[in-house]
Amino acid sequence: MATANPMTRMLTPEDLLTDRSLRTRWRIGFDRAVGWVLPLLFGVAILPILAVVYYVGSRALPTLTVTVLTSTSLTAGVDVLGVPIICTFEIMAVATLLAVALGLFGGIATAEFLPDRLAGWIRTTANMLAGTPSVVMGYFGYFTFVLYFGWGLSLISGAFTLAFFMTPYVFRTADLAFTSVPRHVREAAYGSGAGPLQYILRIGSRIALPQILTGVFLAMAIGVGETAPIVLTTAAATIVPHSLFSPATFLTALIFANYGSSLGAGYVNVAFQAAFILIVVVMLLNVLVRIVSARYQKKLEGLYL
Amino acid sequence: MSTTAVPGPPAESQPVPPPSSPDGAPRTVRRRGAWILHTIVPLVPALVPVAIVVAIVFALLSLAGMSIGLSLTPFSFRFRGPVNFGWAFFGSDFAPPYHWEIGVFIVGSFLTAIPALFLSMAIGLGIAIASTTYLPRSLTAWLDPFVDLLAGIPSVVFGIWAYAYAAPYFGVTINPWLSMHLGFIPGFGGSPGLPTGEGLPVTIFILTLMALPITTLLIRDALRSLPRDLWESGLALGATRWETMRRVGLPHGMRGILSAGFLGFGRAFGETVAVAIVLGGASRYPTNFYGETGTMAATMFALLDSAYGNGQFLALLSEMAIVLLAITLAVNIVGRRFVSSFVGYEIAGM
Amino acid sequence: MSAQNRTTPTGTMGTTNAEELSSAVRRRSGMVGMGVAIAIAIVLLAIGIGGGYFLGVYVTKTSSSVTQITETGSTLLYPLMQIWGPNYTKFNSAVSLSTAPSGSGAGQTAALKGTFNIGASDAYLVNATKNGVLNVPVAISSQLVYYNLPGITQHLNLNGTLLAYIYGGKITSWNDTLIRDAQSPAVDSNLGNLTTAEQKITLIYRYDSSGDTFLFSTLCNMSWGKFPFTNSTSAFSGIATKLSNTQSETGNSEMVSGVEAIEGGIAYIGISYKHTVSGANVNYAALGDNTTLANGNYSVAKDDFILPTNTTISNDANLGLTHLSYKTFGLADSMILGGFRNSPVNNTPGGGGTDPTVGETGTNGAYPIVNLEYSLIRSAPYGSTVSAGALKDTVEFLQWAISLGNDPQYLSQVGFVPLTTEVLGYDQQEFASVSV
Repeated sequence: MATANPMTRMLTPEDLLTDRSLRTRWRIGFDRAVGWVLPLLFGVAILPILAVVYYVGSRALPTLTVTVLTSTSLTAGVDVLGVPIICTFEIMAVATLLAVALGLFGGIATAEFLPDRLAGWIRTTANMLAGTPSVVMGYFGYFTFVLYFGWGLSLISGAFTLAFFMTPYVFRTADLAFTSVPRHVREAAYGSGAGPLQYILRIGSRIALPQILTGVFLAMAIGVGETAPIVLTTAAATIVPHSLFSPATFLTALIFANYGSSLGAGYVNVAFQAAFILIVVVMLLNVLVRIVSARYQKKLEGLYL
Repeated sequence: MSTTAVPGPPAESQPVPPPSSPDGAPRTVRRRGAWILHTIVPLVPALVPVAIVVAIVFALLSLAGMSIGLSLTPFSFRFRGPVNFGWAFFGSDFAPPYHWEIGVFIVGSFLTAIPALFLSMAIGLGIAIASTTYLPRSLTAWLDPFVDLLAGIPSVVFGIWAYAYAAPYFGVTINPWLSMHLGFIPGFGGSPGLPTGEGLPVTIFILTLMALPITTLLIRDALRSLPRDLWESGLALGATRWETMRRVGLPHGMRGILSAGFLGFGRAFGETVAVAIVLGGASRYPTNFYGETGTMAATMFALLDSAYGNGQFLALLSEMAIVLLAITLAVNIVGRRFVSSFVGYEIAGM
Repeated sequence: MSAQNRTTPTGTMGTTNAEELSSAVRRRSGMVGMGVAIAIAIVLLAIGIGGGYFLGVYVTKTSSSVTQITETGSTLLYPLMQIWGPNYTKFNSAVSLSTAPSGSGAGQTAALKGTFNIGASDAYLVNATKNGVLNVPVAISSQLVYYNLPGITQHLNLNGTLLAYIYGGKITSWNDTLIRDAQSPAVDSNLGNLTTAEQKITLIYRYDSSGDTFLFSTLCNMSWGKFPFTNSTSAFSGIATKLSNTQSETGNSEMVSGVEAIEGGIAYIGISYKHTVSGANVNYAALGDNTTLANGNYSVAKDDFILPTNTTISNDANLGLTHLSYKTFGLADSMILGGFRNSPVNNTPGGGGTDPTVGETGTNGAYPIVNLEYSLIRSAPYGSTVSAGALKDTVEFLQWAISLGNDPQYLSQVGFVPLTTEVLGYDQQEFASVSV
C-alpha cells in the first residue's frame, strides 16, 4: 500500500468544519455569507409594508373613532364609514356565497369523479380563470350584468362580478383539498362499501374542510381588495342599499373616488380611513387562514400518516 | 350429500369490475345507469370555470361587435370591428378617434411586467431560501406572515402611496443616480426623466412588490414540500446548505418555482389601478429606461368612461381586452405545458 | 425512517413527516382543539357574511321612510353633489341623495337607461329630448391653466390660440416669440431669462377620460382649425404618439402635483382644485379672447387678458346664452368662447369665438374656459328607479340645488360661480316639461 486511502469512513458535517483547505473554507464562508445576506431580502418585502401602513395609518388613525366606523348618518358629509362598511359586507356576502356555490361543487366533482385527463383540462381552465386580469373581469361584468341583464351599476352587478372573480380560487382549493386526502383514507372508505357521495359527505369533507375554509378566506381576502371590477360595475354611492339592485359602494371604490378630492383634508381622509380598514380586514383574514391551516397541519401530521 | 349449502361463490356471479382509475381507488358500480350519476352529473359543476371563460370571451366579442351598431343580442358578434382586428391593430399609432393601434400598450405591458417578474422571482427565491434553510423557526414563524401581509394591501393603496412617496423619490434621487452610473448600459443612459418620477422604474418597483408575496409563498411552499430525506442526503455528503439548495433543492423544486413565476407574471401583467395611478399612460415606446409608457390594463381602465356613448371607442377597448385576455391565457397555457414537461403530468394547484 | 434524531441545521425543510401515533387521549384533545378552531372560523365567517347583510337590511328598514335619489356621473360635479347631499337632507329630511363619481359617460348612460335618477354630465347631451331626457344645468364651473416658471410670479397672458399651438406641438419653448409678444415687458424679459431647461414646455395632460380634457380640447379646437386632436373626453390620450415633451396624469390632483413639480410645465386644472395648488413658481394664466393668427388679426391689446373671477366667469356664461341659441348650438360649445360681452360671435371651429375688433377690457371681459354642469333627468317616469314619486323628489331637489344650494357657503368650497338669471330661466323651462 503505497499511499493510505484517506476515505476510510463516511464524511460527516464535522469534517466540513475541520477541513482547513482553502477551498472548503471558502465554501463554508460563502455559505455563512449567504446566510447573512439572504435574510436581508426580507427587508425588501417588509420595509414597503411598514411604509405603506405608516402612510395610511398616520393619516387615518387620528380621526378614526368608533362613531366614525358605525355612523350611517345621512346628514354628515364626512366621517360616515358605517355605510361603506355595511355595503362591503353585503357585497362580500353575496359574492362569497355565490363563489362557494359555483366553485365548491365543481372542485369536489373534479377531484372525485372525473377521469384524469378531463380533470387536468378543467384544472387548467380554472387556473387560467384565476389568472384573468381584474380589468377584463370588470369589462365582462359591465357587459353581462350592467348592460345585458340590465341591472345597471348596482350592488348585485358588483357582487356577481366579484363572485366570478373569486370562483376559481375556491374551485382550486376544493380540488386540492380533496385530492390531498390521504389515499388510504379514501381506499378504506371505498373498501368499507361507501359510495362516492357518502365518502364525500362524511369522511372527505371532514378532512378537507379546513383547507377549503382556508381557500374561502383567501378568496375573500383577494376579493375585498379588488378595485377595477367594482369601479366598473358599481357606482361608489353613499347610501345604504335598500335592495340588491340599488347602487352600492365598496371600500376600494371609496378610496379611488376620494383620494384626490378637492374638498379638503376631511374628504381625502375618508380614503385613508377606508384604506386602513381594508388593510385591517385583510390582515384578520390572513390570521384566520393561518390559524386554520396551522391546526390542520398539526392534525394531519398526528393522525393520518 | 348434505343439504346444508356450503358457502361458496354464487352460481352466477357478477364480476366486480377491476379498479379502473389510475390512483387505484376502486369504483364500485352498483347499478347500470349509475355511470350517468357518476360522470355526467359531476360534470355540470365541474364545467363552471369553463363556462365562465367561454362567457367572458363571448361577452368581450359581443361588446366589440355590438358597439358598431349591431343589435343588443350578445351573440351577434363579428370579427369586423372598426379597427378590423387585422395586423394594423398592433401598430403604434394610437390617436383616438382616427387611429386605434395598440401595439404600444402591448409592448408597454410586457416592458413593465417582465422586469417585475424577474425581480420578484429573484427576491422571492432569496426570501424563500432564507426562510427554509437559514433562519430558525422562531423567526420565520412571524416573518413569513409578515411578507404575506404584502399581498393584503389593496392595489389602489399601493398606487396612492407609490405616487405620493416612491415616485418623487425615484424621480429626484434614484433615476438620476441610475442614469449617471449605469449610463454605459444601452437604454439606461440619457435623460433621467421628470422629477415626478412617473416612468418605468417606479412602475417596475411596485409591480415587483405586488408580485412578491405570490412568488415568495409559492416558492416557499415548493421548497417546504420537498422530502426531508432529499435535503438531508445532500448535507450528509458534505455539502453546505447553499450547495445543497443549489444542487438538490432547487432542481427538485423547479416545478413549483416556475409555477410561481407564471402566477407572479399574471399578477404583474394584469395590474390595473396601481399602474394607472403611478404611471398614467402614454401611447409611445419609451426612449430609455426612465420614460413613460402605457399598459393595456391601465388604458382600458382609464379610458372606459369616454367609450360609453361611443361605439367605436367601446369596440376598441373591448378588442384591447380580448388581446389582454388572450396574452394572459396564452402565457398560462404555454407556461403550464412547459412546466409539466418537467414532470409529465399536471399537479393540482400548480 | 422518520423517528431518527435529526441533526439537520435550522430551517423548516421537509417538515411534513409523520410522528408517532399518540395515545387516545391526545388524539381526542387534538380533535377537540381542531373542532373548536373550525367552529370559531365558521362562526366568524357567518358573522361576517350574514351579519353584515342583516345589519344592512336592518339599517335600511329603520330608514325606509327616507326616499333615496340616486345620482351618478361627472367627477367635476361630484364634489358639489357631495356637499349638497347631506345639506339637502338637513333641509328636507324625507329625502336623501346618493352620489357617485362614475364619469360623465356613465352619467349619460344612467340617465338614458333610467337606472339612476340623476345623471351628471359635463357635456350637453344632444338628442336628449328625443330620448326623453332633459339637460338641466345646475352649476357653472371653469378651468384654469397653470404653469410652473421659476422667477415669474405674475400671471402669464395666454389665449386659446397660443394654448392650441402649445398643446398641438407648434410652440415648444416658453421663449417663443408668439408667447413673448403677448406678455407685459416685465414678464417678457423674465421669459427671456429662463434657462434652457426651464424654457422647454412640458405638456401635462389628463390621460384618463375627463371633462376637463373635453373643455380644454374644445377651446383648442375652437381657436385653431388645424388642432391635431378632436375635442373629446380623451382627446390627449394619444398625444404621446406625436409629441415627446408630455407627461400624463390621472386625475386632477395628479395634475396639480405634476405642475408643482415640473419646471416649465403647463397644465389645465379644474377650478375646484385652485386652493390646493401651492408653490412659489406656480401660477395660472390670464386668458384673452381667441384671436386667430391665421387671420392676421393678432392685435395684442395687453389689457384684454382676463383673469378668472366670479364676474368674468359669469360673463362668459351669459355670453353664450344670450348670443347663441342653445337649441341650435348646444350649450357646451357655447361656453368655450371668451371674448367680449357685446361682440358678435363666431362659433365655427377655428373661428376664434368673438370678433376682437370690438373691444371691452378688464373686468367686463369673459373668461374663456367656462362650462355648465348638467344634471340629466328623465322627463317622465321610466322604469323602476325613476318612479313618479322619485321624479317629483328629484325635481324638488334640483329646485333646491339651483336656489338655496347656490349659496356661496357651498359653492366656495368648489370654486363654482352662482347660476346666472339666464341659466335659471332655462332651468325652469326644463322643469316645466317634466310630466309628473
